[in-house]
Amino acid sequence: MASLISSDPDTSPELNRKKRKRSTVETNSSMEKHRSKRWRTDKEQQIYSLKLFDALRGSRRSGREVRVTADRVLAVSARGATRWSRAILTSQLGGGASLRNHKKAKVVTGNGKLKKQPAAIKKENRRLPAVVRRVKVLGGLVPGCRKLSLPNLLEEATDYIAALEMQVRAMTALTQIIGGGGAAPPPADHQLGSS
Amino acid sequence: MSSRRSRSNQQSSTSRITDDQIADLISKLQQLIPELRGRRFNKVSASKVLQETCNYIRNLHREVDDLSDRLSELLASTEADSEQAAIIRSLLM
Repeated sequence: MASLISSDPDTSPELNRKKRKRSTVETNSSMEKHRSKRWRTDKEQQIYSLKLFDALRGSRRSGREVRVTADRVLAVSARGATRWSRAILTSQLGGGASLRNHKKAKVVTGNGKLKKQPAAIKKENRRLPAVVRRVKVLGGLVPGCRKLSLPNLLEEATDYIAALEMQVRAMTALTQIIGGGGAAPPPADHQLGSS
Repeated sequence: MSSRRSRSNQQSSTSRITDDQIADLISKLQQLIPELRGRRFNKVSASKVLQETCNYIRNLHREVDDLSDRLSELLASTEADSEQAAIIRSLLM
């Protein structure tokens, strides 16, 4: 019956602090969710499928070319809002820009990584070394995000994953449509019919 | 504890990131990974979430590669005449 908390939220400093924190967090997460939810709409997937199909009709048809095209159309769909999408587009534009980023990534040998680890462990005692290692791996998987801070990296990864899932859905649908309904008419062969 | 949390949140955009914020981000990431979605947070370590995230992204990359190969085969075998293309486009919409 007796309430433990003050009934008037405005006068309680403790609840004010919590409210302020909550609103900051909610603004950030609502922005992220809004951006990532884009990839989940049917409309976005349809637009992507059409653009991809149109782009593929005019190009060479190796698997690798298709992959490159699919990534490019995906990155364009992001409209420059994310680092991973910008990195894909710059890396595809002739590769000059990618040299700077890949200087370290080329030497991805076991020795290079092992040398770095002791320094990382000393500097970042608060986080477990295993987590640091995995964060670096994640940074390597999301385009253009090798040197990002952890919160930014996780935000990029969130959007990137949503976009990749859409890419898979769209390309699967496209494969089914082309594969199912796109059979070329059989060559004119009148032997089966009356000759 | 709560005072430290709110103080660092006010300057969180430029300075150090708290462990709480990291834990919060990791738990958000966990909700995206199909493998880990149903489980409660205190059963999955941050390291595990990151590992599964990397695996998931690698799997998605592989799926896209496979689909790209498949599409290249399909496009090679179908002639790109405009009538078929129009049919395909209408099915996509």
